[in-house]
Amino acid sequence: MEFAELLQIWFAALFTVWIYSIAFRDNLFFKFAEHTFVGAAAGHSIVYGVDNVRRLGWTPLVQGQLIYLVAFILGIMLYTRYHSQHFWISRFPVSVMAGVGLGLSLRATVTSEFIAQILSTAQMKVLGVSPWCAGLYNLLFIVITVTVVYYFVFTFPRIHAGRLNWISRIARYGMMAAFGYSFANTILSRFQMIFGRLDFLMNSWLPLSGAVIALPIVLVLLAYAMIPASRRPWPKQLAATPSDD
Amino acid sequence: MMRLVRRQIPIGVVIVTSVIVMSDYFFKITGTGPLVTMLTNWGIILTAFTLGFGAINLFYLHTRHIRRRTSGQWFFSIWLLLMVVVFAGTGILTGATSSTYTWLYNSSYFALSATVYSSLGFYMTSGIYRSLRARNIEALLLLITGTIAVMRNAPALAVAAPILIDMDKWLSEFVVTSAQRGIMIGAALGAIALGIRTLTGRETGFLGRLTEAEREG
Amino acid sequence: MTTTTQKKSIWDRLEAVPREALYALLLIFFIIPMVNPIGFPVPISDEVRRWYNTIDALPSGSAIMIDFGYSGGGEPELGPMAVAVYHHIFSRKAGLKAICMSTSIEGPLLWDKAMAEVNPSRYGANYGKDYIHIGYISGGEIAMASIGKDLRAAVSTDYKGVSLDTFSIMQGIANAGSFQLLICYTTGGDQSEGWVRQWYTPYKTPYLCSVLAMMVPTMLPYQKAGQIISVTSGAQAGQMEVLVKVPARGIKSADVITMTHLLVVGFIVLGNIAYYAKKFSGGSK
Repeated sequence: MEFAELLQIWFAALFTVWIYSIAFRDNLFFKFAEHTFVGAAAGHSIVYGVDNVRRLGWTPLVQGQLIYLVAFILGIMLYTRYHSQHFWISRFPVSVMAGVGLGLSLRATVTSEFIAQILSTAQMKVLGVSPWCAGLYNLLFIVITVTVVYYFVFTFPRIHAGRLNWISRIARYGMMAAFGYSFANTILSRFQMIFGRLDFLMNSWLPLSGAVIALPIVLVLLAYAMIPASRRPWPKQLAATPSDD
Repeated sequence: MMRLVRRQIPIGVVIVTSVIVMSDYFFKITGTGPLVTMLTNWGIILTAFTLGFGAINLFYLHTRHIRRRTSGQWFFSIWLLLMVVVFAGTGILTGATSSTYTWLYNSSYFALSATVYSSLGFYMTSGIYRSLRARNIEALLLLITGTIAVMRNAPALAVAAPILIDMDKWLSEFVVTSAQRGIMIGAALGAIALGIRTLTGRETGFLGRLTEAEREG
Repeated sequence: MTTTTQKKSIWDRLEAVPREALYALLLIFFIIPMVNPIGFPVPISDEVRRWYNTIDALPSGSAIMIDFGYSGGGEPELGPMAVAVYHHIFSRKAGLKAICMSTSIEGPLLWDKAMAEVNPSRYGANYGKDYIHIGYISGGEIAMASIGKDLRAAVSTDYKGVSLDTFSIMQGIANAGSFQLLICYTTGGDQSEGWVRQWYTPYKTPYLCSVLAMMVPTMLPYQKAGQIISVTSGAQAGQMEVLVKVPARGIKSADVITMTHLLVVGFIVLGNIAYYAKKFSGGSK
């Protein structure tokens, strides 16, 4: 195995173990890994921001499509938001983005999330279906859909507490049943992710020479780092220094 | 005049661009097609420009920690900013898909991202044991459907007891889909209302922070 | 003020099990089946079968738009699914064109990772002829709308900056109408729903969607309304691997998922027994 690949696996494994250590206690290694993550994420965003500007903006510009100059000027104007007085200049590019985004989402939301959903619900047959229980299930579907829409559209407290409160109750029961299902799926998702990382540790890292020895050392160091600062011999908590603002 | 430039024109830009984009979808007007293509391409480039905001905000926050020597934090802040520079520098200089940058990504960011997402599984397990109680009808319903779905998601259990598959299918088709559809329709109504408010100039949240004149009213 | 100490009942102790013990138990239930695989069977769901049949029924030469829209956090779940589907596409040897883009900022690098796992050369598939990646395109729905309307106006190079004109796969690819199928792998609801709004609604492009298991319920209404052919979760990758006959990471997780889910059911039952037993026995508050 190449040295670079070896180093990559070691780094990835150590970061994995350090992040998982937070499940037990906060510690220096977790903080180190956490700050690495945040910094890497921000750096990665810059990389692909530059890549997109170059590939999708600069390339057509140098190929003669001068209208892209406007996009570049607007893009630079975005960064005036950090100026204490001239931040209002950034409102123009934001308005372009907001207008385009609003137009794109609004034009299709009515069709895809409103009309299509209502149409699909209205097409459900309640009578004259075989077997007969299918009609009952469809009726349940329609009732839950309508009551949930009612629950979210009519938000005055009187509506939910008065004689029609049975509508809200049916909606709540339907939603809680749905959330239980979602909860189970969330467990599946998270466990699948944990498996992915443990699979990497067991099948990519531990087979490496030295990893089996390194693992207990890493775990001991982690356990030591989890001891409260006042109780461990070193390092003690760093004393607070006066602010120079 | 200042109010026109700083407030009314941006609101006008939103209204005009969104009307152009929507009219291209609903009507066949000569000229709107290429105009919308240009606007959407500008939107892509502008979004790319916004990808630097996160790093700038981090620089503001963490240089403050470094200047103040915030106890237990300032050395982490130095490391964080160093990471931003290393990633950004490597990616821009060697290329976003170069082997060097890929190595950097795989050895740190990918592993960290995957692990952070997965670590929530531990907290969920603790929450399941300590908090998931059938205290009332709603909680009981959540518990029943959740337990059926958990059992169905265990492949061997689903094979051993095929009724779980049928129950799960019924739940997802008639209960979950209907409730989610109701939520979706409600959310769509909200989105449409917000869109109409923005198109009529009543919703100005996108303008961001107010100027002094606007604050004074 | 005097305090009285009540002896803790077994139910109090059961309710107050330290979280570290629960995590340790969870880890044990993860590791045991990983070290000693049991080989539990895996049932194939209707959604995965529908997904498989849709790709199987594509005519020769069909173009497929694939959105690698997941992040590193979702890779353990969606990665195996993406790999299994690529195995299916390439193994069909029907000249299917797999044109990939990413709405996720980590997409291009995760695509590289997936392709290393797939190893397209074993199917005789070549970059630029059978598959390609046109890069991360920022903007979410704006990107989807833009490439759906006029792909070549939005993007002129692949993810490495090489002109699209040099690749034979891009011949005749102009907009959403050039594609016979849309596939999306994503960890973001904005992306999975955005494709419905920006490609299915205006162009009626057939759409297959694979999301995190926790996102499946929110996508079910679209499937019911016929806007999405099949919504699967990445956790069903093992089933797809069985169908394409390439067992890999997905099927490996089946044993672990069974054992850990049994533990979760045990936790739910035990926790509630302890709660109600304590309540009915008038246990310490």
